[in-house]
Formats: sequence, structure tokens, C-alpha cells
Amino acid sequence: MDVSDILAAHAAKQITTRVEKEIPLLIDAGFLTVTDLNVVDKESYDADREDYLLSTARDGIQALISTLFSLPSTHTQDGPLTSLPPPNTPLPRAKPLPKPKPPTKWEQFASAKGIQKKRKERKVWDEEKQEWVDRWGRNGKNKQGEEQWIQEVPHGADVDHDPVKNLRNARKARVAKNERQRLQNESRAQSSSSQLPEREKRKQEIDRTLATTRVSTASMGRFDKQLEGEKKLKGVKRKFEPTETSVESEKKTNLAILSKLDGDAKRARRDVPGDDAINVRKAIRTVSKGRGSAALARPVGGRGGKTSSRGSKSGGRGRGKR
Amino acid sequence: MSEFWKPKNARSKRALEAREAKEIEDTRTAIFIKGTHTGEVVNNVMKELMALKRPDAVSFSKKNAIRPFEDASSLEFFSQKNDASLFVIGQTTKKRPDGLVLVRMFDNKVLDMCELGVDKFVSMNEFKTPKSTPGHKPMLHFASDLFDTHPRFIHIKSLLISFFNGQVIDSIHLQGIEHVISISLSPTPASLDTTSTDLQSLPKVHLRTYTIKLTPSGTRTPHVTLVPMGPSLDLSLRRHTPPEENAHLYGLAMRKPKLKKQDLDKGLGKKKKNVEVDEMGDVRGRIHLGKQDLSGLRGKKMKGLREGMEDGDAEMESDGDVEMESDGDDDDEGEEADEEDQRKRQRR
Repeated sequence: MDVSDILAAHAAKQITTRVEKEIPLLIDAGFLTVTDLNVVDKESYDADREDYLLSTARDGIQALISTLFSLPSTHTQDGPLTSLPPPNTPLPRAKPLPKPKPPTKWEQFASAKGIQKKRKERKVWDEEKQEWVDRWGRNGKNKQGEEQWIQEVPHGADVDHDPVKNLRNARKARVAKNERQRLQNESRAQSSSSQLPEREKRKQEIDRTLATTRVSTASMGRFDKQLEGEKKLKGVKRKFEPTETSVESEKKTNLAILSKLDGDAKRARRDVPGDDAINVRKAIRTVSKGRGSAALARPVGGRGGKTSSRGSKSGGRGRGKR
Repeated sequence: MSEFWKPKNARSKRALEAREAKEIEDTRTAIFIKGTHTGEVVNNVMKELMALKRPDAVSFSKKNAIRPFEDASSLEFFSQKNDASLFVIGQTTKKRPDGLVLVRMFDNKVLDMCELGVDKFVSMNEFKTPKSTPGHKPMLHFASDLFDTHPRFIHIKSLLISFFNGQVIDSIHLQGIEHVISISLSPTPASLDTTSTDLQSLPKVHLRTYTIKLTPSGTRTPHVTLVPMGPSLDLSLRRHTPPEENAHLYGLAMRKPKLKKQDLDKGLGKKKKNVEVDEMGDVRGRIHLGKQDLSGLRGKKMKGLREGMEDGDAEMESDGDVEMESDGDDDDEGEEADEEDQRKRQRR
């Protein structure tokens, strides 16, 4: 029997599904993507572009398909599902990674104690009714006591003892407690995200307001009545630069002062309406050191410098009094 | 959820929760916007790209004076409003005829952009061939060495994967894969330099779409035939903003979620050691047992090895490696063998 025909046919089939490339194809099954890094063949591209593109695409897709068909699959109701490996092409996300939720106080406690989380069923078995009833809600199990038409009254109970009301109050208190704890958890979660807890922030704000009010009286709080346990106000502590500093920093501070002065001078000049607008009277008063224009005409005697100005000032005043 | 307001009813709460950041993200929704002037070509290109992207696509029917390379504030607003993170903006000007700008967002801010010029467009209607079903995932094929070396083409590849196939899925029904989007480049000019900014020297991008036909080949993998489906586009690269320009955003966008313990056990994030698939498609594992203790081993006593005749060597050869083999088939009935198989597969 000659099987060479059969073998040849089989080999031909094999060839059509096998893809040989100079550089092996990069397959990213997670994104159903195949990348062919072989250099584009210019000759066949120019000869028939569409045919060349089709044939390279076919080769690539054939390789991808054979990878996909070799992946493990599971049978489901909707047919076979092939499980894909995680993609290896890094892509940017569309939204930032979700932050993990801060644990509630109970969750913290449970994890410390190693308590497993148990899921409560919504329905509970009612022995009397012999059926499943809701744990809460309308006709819920938690209202069973309240809805009974007859209630047991303990011996020696008060006259106004109302068992239904008591049960209802207890249930409402449980709900309120749960809500309170939820809110506490929420605020704790929020405060952990910001730097200071909400309570601390509020405290600081109050302290600041109090400090301002205490120094806001006419005597700046000096003669205010002191309350018992009132703390002394802490002012701004004065800070002194060290006497010996590096030349660099000294130069820097001095230049800063100079530039400030310079700035002042500029500002002052701006206030004057024009450059040549001089207040003559003021100028004479300054130059003559308050003695008037007649004093300027007189030749300056032996007096000079600071002492002269001081003397003249006092003299001037004296003259005015006489 | 928004910090500023809380949902007032369950429906809006669900809607907000759907928009929240997730560890494994949904498909990116794309918004198709027309610029101040779009010609017939750009209109048709956008229509057909949208047909490929459906159902994760939103079309804006009015014209918008948007210049994404100059001011992206309106894109940020649209992104936030529509919960979309991709944009295709069509614009035709005298300077840049038939332009498409692909914009990718992160956290409602522009991450990167790339402008493409449409040189040639053949519509879907001109191919009288069967079309793919909307909503089915395409396979992507990239062909050129530049997709690994040239920054512009690495960028466009990443953008296009984000556009067509960016969702991470763990399983797929193979019969549902119907079409292929193939992106190839024209031959690389010899003078191409990866750092040059000359756009004319960059090769053209050919985007082709095909439907696939699988025929049995007699082996496990079927034989693939491709049929042109359309649209087919010849594109040239124009201006772009790489994601590296927004380095801070890019860093945040490339963050990876921590691997869960369950996944770590499966072998994710670790190099798989001593497991390989042989030519027959069987998984072969190698187990290291350590050195065997042969001191207590008693060999066969032979007359020639008795005392006084010490010149033979009775030491046995020991090998640390023991080869194990497991079949890739599911046919194994034995429970133990099945368990072993599954463990192997999980490790894969």
C-alpha cells in the first residue's frame, strides 16, 4: 500500500498552518496582538501592495490563531472559553489605580483577632411558621416580638410598662448605633487621607480665634480678668541671627536691606508729581535747619556738624518762646 | 465617587460607581469629534472607524472648534462628561488636509496625541464581502521592524492597541473572533533616523481590515484565510505629543496593581522555572530532588567483588534531575492524574 500520497497531503496541511519567519513573530495573546518585526520586503511590496499586505497579515494571524488554539480552554454553557494569559504589552491606564479602602474599626479588630468574615443570609428559618422569613424589613424577624398580639409582663412591672414600646426602642437604638458607627468610620477614613484629623483642625481654629479675641481689647488683654486655669498667651518668639555668619549670607542680608531702601526711594520719588516740582519753603527749612532764608545768607561760623544742628534747634525753639 | 456631592438615589449611585477607577479597567470609550471643517473623506473615515469601535464609541454630530495641540481644555471637559478616554478629531485645513488626531487621556487629562493624515481611503461599502459583527474583539497585526525601534511607531502601536483592543480579559470564545486589523508600514527608507523630525521621510502606515475564515487543516490549529473587509486606510504621521512629555501623568498611568496572592500562586509575576512545552505540545516539568543518599544502598554481592579483590568500582551513577511528563489532553480518567494535570496547567 502506498501511503506517500496521504503523507504528502498531511504535510501540505501542516505547511499551511505553520509559519516560518526570519525573526520569530512576537505574540501577545492577552491583547490578541501579533507583531511581525521582519523588515518590509520592498520588491514584493512594490509589485503588488495589497497582496503583500494580505499575505503578511495572513502569516501573522495564522501564528496568532495557532497560539490561541493551543491555550487551555474550559467548557461552559455558552461554548468553549479559552483562557488568555495576561498581556505583556504595557499600556497606560485610563484612570488612576483605585486607592484601597481604609478598614473600619471592626475590620481592624477582626484582622487583629483573626476573625473570618461571614456572610449573613437575608432570610432566616422561622420554626413556628416553618418557612424562611426576612431577617429585617417588612414582617422581618427582628420585629417579631413587637408584632405579637399578646405579651408577657414581668412580675412587679411598672404600671406604664409597655413591652412593645420597649422592644421597638431597643431595635431603634441598635439601628442608631450602627449608623453612628458608620459615620465614625467614614470620618476616620476621611481624616486618614488628609494630614490632620477633622477634630484637630477645628481645635486649632478655635485656639487661633481665642488668641485674637484675648488681645483685642483696648489694653491688649493686659487688664482683662483672668479666668481660672487660663493659660498665658504664647507670643511670637524673637529669633536672633548668630553674630558670626559667613561672608556670603552677611552680604546677602545687607544687599537685601539696601535693595529695600532703594525701592523705598523709588516709591517716594513716584509720589512727587514732577521731578522739578520742589516745595521751596520745605527745601529752605531743611537746608537752613529751620532758621529760615535769612540764616542761609549769613556766612557759616565756627559751628558745624551734628552739634551745630542740635544747638540751633534748641536755640530756635527758645527764640520762639520768647 | 465625587468628593463634592453625594448621590441622592440608588440609580445615580450605581452610575457613579460605574465610573469609578477600577483595578481592571473597562474598554476605553472613544468620542468622535468633527473639527471646524471636515471634508467628505474625513467624515467617512470617522464613520467607519466608529463602526469598528462600536459599541464603545460616541459621535458628536456638531462641529467643534477644537485644536487639541493648542488647547485641550474642552477635551478634558468632554472626557469627564462622557466618561471617555479616547478622542478621534477630524479636521481638514489647507495646510493639513484630511487630518485625524488620536488623543488618549488619563484621569480626564490629555496623556498623548498623534495626528494622522489620510492619504487614501477605501470604504467598507466598496468591498462586497461579509462584515464583522459590531462589538466583537478584533485581532491586531503589526508588521514592520520600526514598531520595535522607532519612537513614533512604538507610540502609534500603543495608541492603536489602546484604541481597538485595550481591555484586559481573562478568557475569550474563539469563534467570536471575526476580524483582523492589520497595521503595516511601507518599506523603511535607508536614510531613516530615529531622532530626525523630518515627517516626509517616515514610512506610510497601511491600515487594513480583514475578516477571517477558518478551515480545518487536519491538525489542531485551523487554516486561516483572510478576506478584505474594509475600511482600508493609508495614513501618514504628522504632529504628535508623546506620553513622555507628560512625565508625571505617564508615570501614574503606567502603575500596575499589586498582584494578588492567588495570582502569585499561579506563577504570575515570577519567572517560570523548569516548565517547558516540548515539540509534541506536552508540558514537561523538571523536579529537583537533591542528592540521593546512596550510602545505605546495597549492591548485588558478587564473587568478584569480595574482600581482597578490590579493583572494581561499584558506585552507581546518580542524577539530580528526574524527568516527569504529563499529557496536555483532558482524556485522563484517573483522579490523581487529573489533579496533577490541573496543577500543571495552573502553573502555566
